Formats: sequence, structure tokens, C-alpha cells
Amino acid sequence: MNDSTHLSELNQRVSAAKAEVEGRGETFYPGASRIHLASFPPRERWNDWVELDSKSWPDKVEKRYMLVPTTCFNCESACGLLAYVDRETLQVRKFEGNPEHPGSRGRNCGKGPATLNQITDPDRILYPLKRSGRRGEGKWEQISWDEALDAIAGRIRTAMQEERHEEVIYHVGRPGEDGYTERMLAAWGVDGHNSHTNVCSSGARSGYHWWMGMDRPSPDYSNAKVILLVSSHLETGHYFNPHAQRIIEGKKNGAKLIVFDTRLSNTATHADHWLSPYPGSEALIFLAIASWMIREGKYDREFVRRWWNWQEYMEVVNDKPGASFENFEEHLREIYSEFTFEYASTESGIDATTLLEVANVVSTAGTRFATHNWRSAGSGNLGGWQVARTLTLLNALLGALATEGGTFPNSWNKFTPRPPRLPHQHPKRWNEVTWPREYPLSLMEMSFLMPHLMKDQDAHLDVYFTRVYNPVWTNPDGFSWIEMLSDEERIGLHVAMTPTWNETAYFADYILPMGHASERHDLTSYEQYNGQWIAFRQPVLRAARERLDEKITDTRQVNPGEVWEENEFWIDLTWRIDPDGSLGIREFFESKKVPGEKMTIDEYYSWIFDNSVPGLPEASAAEGLTPLEYMRRYGAFEISNKVGRVHEQSVPDNELEDVRVDEMGRVFSRAPTPPSPKAPGGTKIDDDEDGRRRVGIRVDGEILKGWPTPTGKLEFWSRTLYDWGWPELAIPTYIKSHIHPENLEDDQIPLITTFRVPVQIHTRSANSKWLDEIAHTNPLWIHPTDADRIGISKTGDLVRVETELGYFVIKSWITEGIRPGVAACSHHMGRWKPEGHKGQRLGISTVALNQEGSEWSLTPRKGGEPFASSDPDTMRIWWTDLGVHQNLTHAVHPDPISGMHCWHQAVRICPAKEGDQAGDVSVDTGKSQAAYEKWLAMTRSADRYSPDGMRRPYWMLRPVRPEREAYRLPLETEPAKV
Amino acid sequence: MRNQGLDLYLTPDPLKESGQASVDLIRTLAVFAEAPASEHIHLWKTLGIEDSPSASDYADVFLFQLYPYASVHLGSEGMLGGEAQNRVAGFWGALGRNPPPEPDHLAALLGLYATLSEQIGLVGNSSGKPPRFSEAETLMIHRGRDALLQEHIAPWVPAYLERVIEIAAGPYRSWALLLDKVLRVELVRAGCPKQLPLHLRESSPLADPRTDGADAFISGLLAPVRAGIILARADLARLSSELDLGLRAGERRYALEHLLSQDSSRFLQSLATEADRQAAGHEHRRELLGITADFFLDQAQTTSKLLRQLSEGGAKITAETVS
Repeated sequence: MNDSTHLSELNQRVSAAKAEVEGRGETFYPGASRIHLASFPPRERWNDWVELDSKSWPDKVEKRYMLVPTTCFNCESACGLLAYVDRETLQVRKFEGNPEHPGSRGRNCGKGPATLNQITDPDRILYPLKRSGRRGEGKWEQISWDEALDAIAGRIRTAMQEERHEEVIYHVGRPGEDGYTERMLAAWGVDGHNSHTNVCSSGARSGYHWWMGMDRPSPDYSNAKVILLVSSHLETGHYFNPHAQRIIEGKKNGAKLIVFDTRLSNTATHADHWLSPYPGSEALIFLAIASWMIREGKYDREFVRRWWNWQEYMEVVNDKPGASFENFEEHLREIYSEFTFEYASTESGIDATTLLEVANVVSTAGTRFATHNWRSAGSGNLGGWQVARTLTLLNALLGALATEGGTFPNSWNKFTPRPPRLPHQHPKRWNEVTWPREYPLSLMEMSFLMPHLMKDQDAHLDVYFTRVYNPVWTNPDGFSWIEMLSDEERIGLHVAMTPTWNETAYFADYILPMGHASERHDLTSYEQYNGQWIAFRQPVLRAARERLDEKITDTRQVNPGEVWEENEFWIDLTWRIDPDGSLGIREFFESKKVPGEKMTIDEYYSWIFDNSVPGLPEASAAEGLTPLEYMRRYGAFEISNKVGRVHEQSVPDNELEDVRVDEMGRVFSRAPTPPSPKAPGGTKIDDDEDGRRRVGIRVDGEILKGWPTPTGKLEFWSRTLYDWGWPELAIPTYIKSHIHPENLEDDQIPLITTFRVPVQIHTRSANSKWLDEIAHTNPLWIHPTDADRIGISKTGDLVRVETELGYFVIKSWITEGIRPGVAACSHHMGRWKPEGHKGQRLGISTVALNQEGSEWSLTPRKGGEPFASSDPDTMRIWWTDLGVHQNLTHAVHPDPISGMHCWHQAVRICPAKEGDQAGDVSVDTGKSQAAYEKWLAMTRSADRYSPDGMRRPYWMLRPVRPEREAYRLPLETEPAKV
Repeated sequence: MRNQGLDLYLTPDPLKESGQASVDLIRTLAVFAEAPASEHIHLWKTLGIEDSPSASDYADVFLFQLYPYASVHLGSEGMLGGEAQNRVAGFWGALGRNPPPEPDHLAALLGLYATLSEQIGLVGNSSGKPPRFSEAETLMIHRGRDALLQEHIAPWVPAYLERVIEIAAGPYRSWALLLDKVLRVELVRAGCPKQLPLHLRESSPLADPRTDGADAFISGLLAPVRAGIILARADLARLSSELDLGLRAGERRYALEHLLSQDSSRFLQSLATEADRQAAGHEHRRELLGITADFFLDQAQTTSKLLRQLSEGGAKITAETVS
């Protein structure tokens, strides 16, 4: 046979094999590939996927798996996972990425596969526990779910019957789901939603909210020309993986990356321009760039003219109704003229030439300018909310909002479907503990102030849920939290809902074990690109067994021990709170199909998938599946992949009926709100005086949808801030941080704490052995010049870091990766359990907790070490240093406007003293009250400043919005003069 | 981005030859240049190669001996990335495609070649249906495929495969023999290039240690486009064994430096013989590759000549000096 014939025959052989496989509807050439063949198991083979068993190597033993999708629960990105369920044992053997997930596209960070560690954690909580000693003593007894449910439900029922709804609070970390719990609280009529957002992202959110009426950015990195990040999202931040992969795509397509980070973070190492400013000066730099762009005319005049609320600003502030746009431009140049590169250079320590260079890059982006601020400067500084606001000023100047390659508002790139039996009622009573009147403009609940607010208001909670949240460890001033949680007069019943032991659960009355990513149902959607998708988290063993025709009616039937999921738990609890329906809340958890019966999880999600997700029923039908079966099979669905400029869309004619256009161009209509598949939410704009609802805004004669702000435009100037006592901050401007050099003593320097280590995720990941091995400590970053000055000779030397409340002792890391004159310590790590307590061993130090009056100390007794367990790997632990819990020494720093805890600390650093050991913490909670009062004095309370007798502007975002009447302040308050 | 080489093929009638390539076979052979996976086993069997390679076989051939990247063989640095990789990435871009993470990996290049060939096949099969591609697109696909072959595959893959056939055993030797046959068919179909590929036009000559220093000279010896030869770890091991010199464990450069410092004269002589041997391979490819093979033949012969001069002149070459 000659070569040509031979090759032809071989080609035919491969082609025939390919045709045979593809004839079965499958994909040929599976396996990882760089040549555009299938890179993931083809989805048609998920039901019976074969791989070689790694443990049998070098023998080639085939293993058969069922691949079941779910959604990661370790951060808020909601990346898709594929659980590899062994068909022989029906156990999960590993987690990989789900290629069908539009956000993560099959790519995961380390935290996703580490879900396997979490579900097999030998120390996880498997059964409901009830404390048997005094609270915090560490004695527990195992109880049944029925006992726990009846006890908790009984107390809540009584509170409701006695109209004490505000004594029930649900305190949540990252929710990892959309809408279920808020619906539940609305059904209960309880204004008890208490998020962690004010220790997380409220600062940045607030800045976005004032501009757009939506509180998060969704940059279109892949298509950007210039990307500007104020944080370390690329490698170490929130929304880590879906954003990171798109930033890299953008870079590959030629985008320039600008990173603002005082540390040389992993993100900064990828930057074309890395700026390491003095912390707190970021907003000023953006203002200097904006000022230069305005002076040089390097902005999109047409966009500014059409979409900024400049007319309102000129009329109210400058008393120039009917001013021309040219008048406004002249004024704009004037008001920003003080923000020069020289001024920014003085404050930031970055030379003016570099700032000009970066400004030039920004100005070339046009509408392809993708920007992001999440925590970082936005959550570190007094006035940090102005960072996102001034950053958005740049986008708004360039017209780079909701454009390809620009920055979208989150709500346009997110889809929360409408659930069945949507509650019609709103809580009647305002919760003063979570929404205190001193902070009327806070974006979210003032959750981290709870210990102080409870004391100030002499408040009592009857039932306090902490749900996958650990305020003792995560929040500042943790010893004050311990004091509050230990006081049964303040907290009647503390229920900790958690898959894992944590510092807060030690002070609970009940611990209820809830599932990890592969053990629970949730529905998620997050803004990650210019599109909308939903993803389904599900108990994978339930889905696997159902594929084998088993009937599963309760997730506990497949989860380890008696681990449950929250959704079924809430349904059951609600039925026990209102067994006969007399409280009017049970109806929202009743089956629609079989009235009088409990709604099942299958029915709940079936209804959503059948009715509220455009395109899903059709896509499912094309595969011969029901929508629920489709979501159980593939785990995610993309609703749209091009959203575009929603604000420029015309209002449909059927929404225009008896229209009135007011003097600001706002268009009101009597047409009813059209039905929407999306869950209601967002800002609430008042109707006009005749009851017409706002449907849009007239721009150049066209009626367009506009923005969900009071004016319908981008609010360069905020009438709300102006009216509620902050006229000087009503436009994007610069606020000097609490750690500005003017506010520091000579021997103090700023400490940055708001950054992650790449693979850890706060309180959720200490039980992941793989992640712990990679990252288990949090040394103090300090520049060599500072180390010299302080007398630290080498990396690893112990130092004492003194804060307002006390001090902590930590190992040093001398590095040029931090700006001189600034120190940094990641807020991760330093997990602990008190001596004598059972609980988790992996990644957790055992400590002695001592209290004398207001003086507290935490002294490590035992660090990391090998231990015997059902997992042989725990005998292989080689690391001993588990870091230090620095947050205990932080006083509360609530920003008077956004309500964000301003994390940066003013500290003194000195070499450790005799007797100090790594991980030592000492705090005087007596000082924390003084710090709280100092920051409280900066507020402008609704009591004195509310222009309309309300506690808060009604239009602003608010989870579980109470009735309008509940917004009204008690009558004795007097309006203040502004 | 510089000229991507497409200008070489602005001939008036590129559509004359429809060029039905063995698309599935090429794609399969491309997959084999990647780390072996269990899913590949049946593919090896389909091609009649019973023993599929292990991860260790793969590591030995592709990670330790012969790096399957155009940039290593066609870049003046002889290393991954750099301008050579940029040129390949630019070529992907010129075809309107996003370059993959490693655009110059052999698997990526063969995969692209298969895809373009497949599109040409579709052009040929569109009778009775509306044309799948416009005339301009069809022209682009044809020219693109030939440019890919002449610019980014032919200058290094045949010589590379010759070395795999010499050094590897078992399934990878069978793979190289088969891929070599497939490429010969494609190269015959495409004909010899009329202009020297851009990679070669942009390359630098081998540095002379007497004027440019030992460092540049040693780097150049490890850059095939400059030296005209591919020096694998196996070659260094063989030569050192023949001369009874000690081979230091480490990167090729490190090992080469130490071999030269032990006995420069004999080792230079031995390298010259190796250059002659590899020059003979280029000579055999002259009919197939035309000026491309001429280029490498000239490089190898020049290298041989320089090495002999140095040896005979008693040059003492160490890591940093030449005397």
C-alpha cells in the first residue's frame, strides 16, 4: 500500500469512528484540547461518563460517573460546578467546572473543586444541636429537627401574635441566592433582614446608587479598550473567576489595564499601569482626571447633555432655571478646577506626570471604558463611597455606561425571576436596630453596629438567626458581639444556621446544620458580562437518585447525617409558626396545585422555570424535557447575551396612557404596570399627584426608559443628599479619609485590611484542606524602610500592632510590595475556637478567652497540627501558623452617609514585647463605645434633617421594604435647619 | 503586527486546487501532541497504534526533549513566546480568529490547518445550495491555509519530526512517522514557497563567540533558526557520552556550558559533526521545501564551519568568556 492510500484509509477510519459517535448525538474527541475540540465532557454523556480511576494508576481502570450540575456556594460569583457522582457508590468523587454555565463557562477557581473538602470535612456539623450549659460554655446535645423547629416556631408565633415582629432578625452573610429569603421575610411581615453588606460593599454600592439608582457595576471587560480596577479583583477579589477570565480576555484583545492598589496585589502584577496611592486619595485622583478631561474637552458632550441631570442642578444650586448646557459646562469646569494633578499628587504621593499619563489612557477609551470598585478604597475610608462615585464620573463623562466594553448597572445584567405566591404585604413595623434613624441614607442595614445600637436603644431580640454568617469573627469589635450574644436579656434565642462550626455558633442556643453547594437548592444570577443568566444550585445526590427513578421528598434523605437545606426548612418552619393559617403567612408556602398542602421544592422551582424565565420552556421542550428537568440536567440557562442601553429604549406605546410630562421631563402614565417575569425590586419612584406612575423620561422629544433615579437621569447632583443635610456632598467630590495624614498622630500609620488571600473566602473555607494548605496565615506587610525605622530586622519577626481598642501580635513580612508608610494585613485567617469546645480542628487555633470587666484577651494555646480523623490527610498537616484575628481589635467606623464600616485603621507598630506570642489579641471594649460615639457624632440624623418627616428617602433601595407608613418618624422630632 | 505572510500567496488562481486534506486524521494527530488522556486511547487504536503513550512518555518527548512550539524553533531566542509567537498570534488574528492561549503550539497549528481544510471541503461540497462562504472568504481560507503551512508549519515541523523519530520510541515515534507522511502530502500539494517565510527573514545569524561573547553564542546554538540544528537533551547526553565528558543535570544551556568548559575543542568538534548530520536532513528536504530548506541548510553548514574554526583555533569557551 502506498503512502497516499494508507493515509486515506486512516482518515476514513477516523471519519467513520467520528460519524458513529456523532450519529449517537455525542461529541467526538473528548478531553482537554487546545484545538477547539471538546474541552469538557460533552453534555450528552453526563449521565454515564467514563474516566480512568486515578487511584488505580498505573492500571487503567474505568470509573463510571453521573455528572450533576450545581452552583458553587463559596463566594457570590455562583460559578457552575459539575459533581462527579460515582455510579457504583453514589458518592461525589470530585467537582469540576460546568461548561454550560454562562458566567463561569466551565472555569473555576480553587474554591469550587474544594467543595469536596467541605462535604467530607470530618468535623462538620451533621445533626441539630441544642446548648446544654450556659450560652457560650461549649456544651451541646443532639436533638431532633422536630424539637428544634417546634421550639423556634413557637417563639416566633408568640412574637407575631404579640405584634413584636421587629424582635425577629435574620442576619445573613453572602446570601448565595436570589429572593427566596426576602420573599419569606415579606410573607412573615418581618422587617428583619440584616445583611453583612455594611462590612463588605456598601461604600462602593452607595456611590453607584447615587448615580444610577442601581448599586453595583457590571463591567464588560472582554470588549473594553481600557479597564480600570480599584481593588484586586483580577486575582484575589470578589466575583473572582468570571471577572478574572474576562479581564484577561480584554487584555488579550488589546485592552490596557489600570490598577489602583496600594499593595502589589496579584491584580497589580497584571497591570499596564499600577498606581499605589496613599490610601484614601483615590477619589481625588479620579476628580483630577475628570477635571483635566473637562478642561480639555475630552468627554462625550452629547451623552452628558442628554443623560445628566444638569438642568436640575443648575436650577436648584445655581438658581438658574433654563440655563443652557454651555452654561453648565462652564460651571462644571469651574467647580472641578481645584482638583488638579498637582493637588492629587500631593495627597496621593504619585507624581503628576504619571497621573497625566493615566488620564490620557482613560481619555482614549471612548465608550469602551470598563471600571470596577468593590471593596478596597470604597470600604476602607471615611467617604469611601465617593470612590465609586468619582470613578463613575469618568464613565459618565465618556458615555461609557451600558455600552459594549463599558460598565453596566448590575440590574440590567442580572435576572431574578418572579416566584410563585409573591407576598402582597409589607412589614408594618420599622426595625430601628437595623435601620437606625441616625443613618437615614445608609445603603443597607447597619448590621455591624448591633451591639451598640441594642445597648443605646435598650433593645431585645426574641429570635436572632445567623445564617452562614459569623459576625463575631467577621465584624469589627468582635468582643462586643460576644458580650451581646452572651446576654440572654438582649438576645432571647440565637439560632445559628451553618454547615460548619464558627466563632458565632459557639454563642448560639441552637445550631442547625445546613448544606454546602451540593446539598441545597438555590437560584442565583449575577452580573458578570453584558447578558443575563440564572443558575440552579441543587442537592446533587437527590438529582442523581431521581435519575435512577428514586422518589426523594426531602433533601435530608440524601444529605449526610441530618444536614438539611434552608428552603425546605423555611417552608416547614413557616407551617409550624402558622399551622392553621390564622396569621396569614402560611398561604405563601402552600401548594398551588394542591391547596392546603405544603408547597414542595419541586413545585416552587417548577413554577418559576415554567413561568418566569423567558426562553427556558422552549429550550427545554426542544430537548424533550420539562424546564425543571432541564435545569436539573444542565444547571444554568442564559436568558440574553446582549442587553445594551436600556435607558435609551423607547417606552412602548401600550405603557403610555393619559400621559403627563412634568417640568423635569419625567413622563407619568395611567397605564398599568405590564406583567413582568422578573421579581419586583429596585428603587421606588413616587407617582405623580394624580396617581400616574413614572414610566420614563423625555429626552430630545423622545420618551425613553431612562434610569431608576428620582429624575430618571444619571444623577450627577443628588437632590436627596442635598435635602437630607449633605448639600456639600451632593456632587462627586473628595472627602478626606479618617486615616488622612492630618488625622494621624506622628507615630501612627494606616493599616489596610480589606484584601483577601487568593483561595480563602472568609468564614466559609477554613474546613477546606486543599485551600488551607495553600494559604493559612496573614502576615503584616511592611515596607523595608518602615521595618528599619521600627526596628524589625527580618521577615517573621513578631510585631505588636496597636489600634484604638487594643493590640494584636503578628509575624511581619518585609516587602517592597507595599507603599512606604502604609502597612497591610489581610482580613482572612486567624480563626479560633475557645478551649474546652468541640468543633472544627482544621484551620482553627484553640485559644484561651479571658475577660475581666471590659478587658478581653485571646491567647492561642494550640495552632495547626496533624490530627487523627476519618480523613487520613489530616495526619499530614504540616503548617502550624494560622494567622491572627485582627478584626477583634478594630473599633466600629460607620460612614455617616453610606453606613459602610470604614475598615482602614490608624495603628502604631512596634516590635513585640516580652511574653508576646503570635496571635495574641488584647482589647478593651470600654473603648469601643467611645469610638462608636465619636463616629455617631458625625451623623446627620433623620430626626433633625429629614425634609419630609420620614426615616429614609422612600425611593432608595431597601430589602424587604416596609409599608410606607412605617417610614414615618415618631412625631416628637423636629426638622433641622440645613 | 508585522506582515503576517499572507502577501506571499497573492497568486491569481488559488481556488484552482480544492485541496481535500485528511482533515480528521490531521485533527487526530494534533490531539496526540497534547497531554495524553484516557479519551485518546481509542483514537490511537483507530490508527492502528496499539500502545497509547503514558504521561511519562509525553513528558519525556514534549517537555524534556523536543518542545512543540513554533516560537522555540523559529524565534531568535529559541524560547517560548517572544516575537515569533506574536507573529503566529497575529496570523490567527489576520484570519479573524482569537488566538488560543498558546497559538504556536503544534496542536493548535495543526488544529487550525484542519479547520481551514474542513472549510475548503465545505466550499467544494456546496453544490446545489447557496454558497456557504463568499468569494472573498473562500479566497481567504485557501490563502490562509497555504500561508499557515508555508509560514508557520513547514519551516520547523518536518525537521522537528525527524528529531522525534530519532529520539522517541513507541507511540510517539509512530505518531511522528505518520504526521511526517501527512505533511509531505500537504506540502507537495501546496508547492514550494516563492519567498522566504517571515520568521526566517527576521532571524539573526548565529553569534560568533570571538566577537559577540560566549553567552550569545551558547544561546544561539540552542535556537534552531539561528544554528540550523535542534539540540535536544538526548543529543547532549549522547555527545558527552561519546567524548566521556560529564553531563551536568539541569537545563540544556547549563549542561552545554559545562560540556564546553570541560573540553571546548573536542566538544566543539563533536557539535560540528552533529551540525553536519542535521544539515544532511535539510538537504533531503530541499525538493519538498525549496528555499525554506535552503535556509536551514545554509544555517547548519555555517554553524558547522564556525564550530570547526573555533575548535581548530583552540577556543576555550566557558559560561561567560571566550579565550
